[in-house]
Amino acid sequence: MGPLITQGYIDPEWSNLIALILGIGFGFVLEASGFSSSRKLAGVFYGYDFTVIRVFMTAIMVTLIGLVYFNYMVWIDLTKIFILPTFLTSVIVGGVIMGFGFVMGGYCPGTSFTGVAIGKLDALFFTAGLYIGIFVFSSAFPLIKDIYYGGELGPVTLTDTFGISKGLFTFLFVLMSIAAFIVTSIIKKKVKKAEL
Amino acid sequence: MNKKYILVIALAMILATGALFLPDKQFTKELSPDKLFFKINNPSRFISTDIIAKKIIDGDPALQLIDVRSSDQYKAYSLPGALNLPLKELMDSSGNISDEWIDYLEVDGMSTIFFSNGDICADQVWILCTRLGLKNMYVMKGGLNMWVETILKPQRPAESASSDEFALFDFRKGASQYFRGGSLVIESEVAAEPVLQVRKKKKTVVEGGC
Repeated sequence: MGPLITQGYIDPEWSNLIALILGIGFGFVLEASGFSSSRKLAGVFYGYDFTVIRVFMTAIMVTLIGLVYFNYMVWIDLTKIFILPTFLTSVIVGGVIMGFGFVMGGYCPGTSFTGVAIGKLDALFFTAGLYIGIFVFSSAFPLIKDIYYGGELGPVTLTDTFGISKGLFTFLFVLMSIAAFIVTSIIKKKVKKAEL
Repeated sequence: MNKKYILVIALAMILATGALFLPDKQFTKELSPDKLFFKINNPSRFISTDIIAKKIIDGDPALQLIDVRSSDQYKAYSLPGALNLPLKELMDSSGNISDEWIDYLEVDGMSTIFFSNGDICADQVWILCTRLGLKNMYVMKGGLNMWVETILKPQRPAESASSDEFALFDFRKGASQYFRGGSLVIESEVAAEPVLQVRKKKKTVVEGGC
């Protein structure tokens, strides 16, 4: 029966309200997981806190498993869900820039707003920088248009690219996540020992 | 390691292993037989030639006419603004309607009306498209034969017919003029009968006396 909006079960006009409710929930969970602290977020890069990786891996794991089972129950048609088109060049270039910003500022765009919401000054500066960045990017857009649209692959998925089933991909991803959990906890212990 | 972590990892592993063996369900847009049967029995898909003529004259932007006859017949005569989608070319060799056609058939906010010479071919295309779950599909009732009969060559109703029938006839006459251009010969309302003039006899003035 799903996706509910595409299939006409929910009028598309509700999408803004649904986005608002989901956004409030998302912000609540980010704050509750401690994502409004730049020290916690930057911990990934210094090896003393891996909450970010754990939360995101868990989120992807739950979604993957959920969607595969929903698809089996004929609750959601996976061919109809929206898949963002991939622009290889901008993903790589943007990823590097964002990585630097993340290490230096201690926030990613979404978490900086949760930081602002609880009144963190560094988050406020980060958000101001975010808007300046958006302005500079928009102004310089004609110059970087080629990079922005470079390497277009369309809405590709890993399962299609590698020709494996969704179930197998889910299984492999869960294995990888569990490995990541174990490896990160070992790293964390070693870093703690080094600090002591 | 924390006991909770072990529990979560175990749960994730069990579910992921299950996912490994789940078959990938193929969703078909096709209607189930009972729904298709209900739709076939529902005559609301038939649209009269009068309504279509009115929509064409009004320049209704939400109207999409599709001629399902062969392209030769389409070239010879078709409704104004109609697209040609021959029934024989609708399906490929494996019996599927290509996505290219579906893009034409399923346009948001447009009503697609199929027509052929009669009802049958247009109705066949309607059933094929309805089975695929396409929406806003209609069939021109009676096809082009009915179109010629009602719109191009409207028959004058009997004198005893209701005023509604005369109003419809008036509309059809106007539509006929619209679709046939200047070739219409407007018949006069009532055939002129020779009027007998009754001349009054001149009164002769009585002259003389007695």
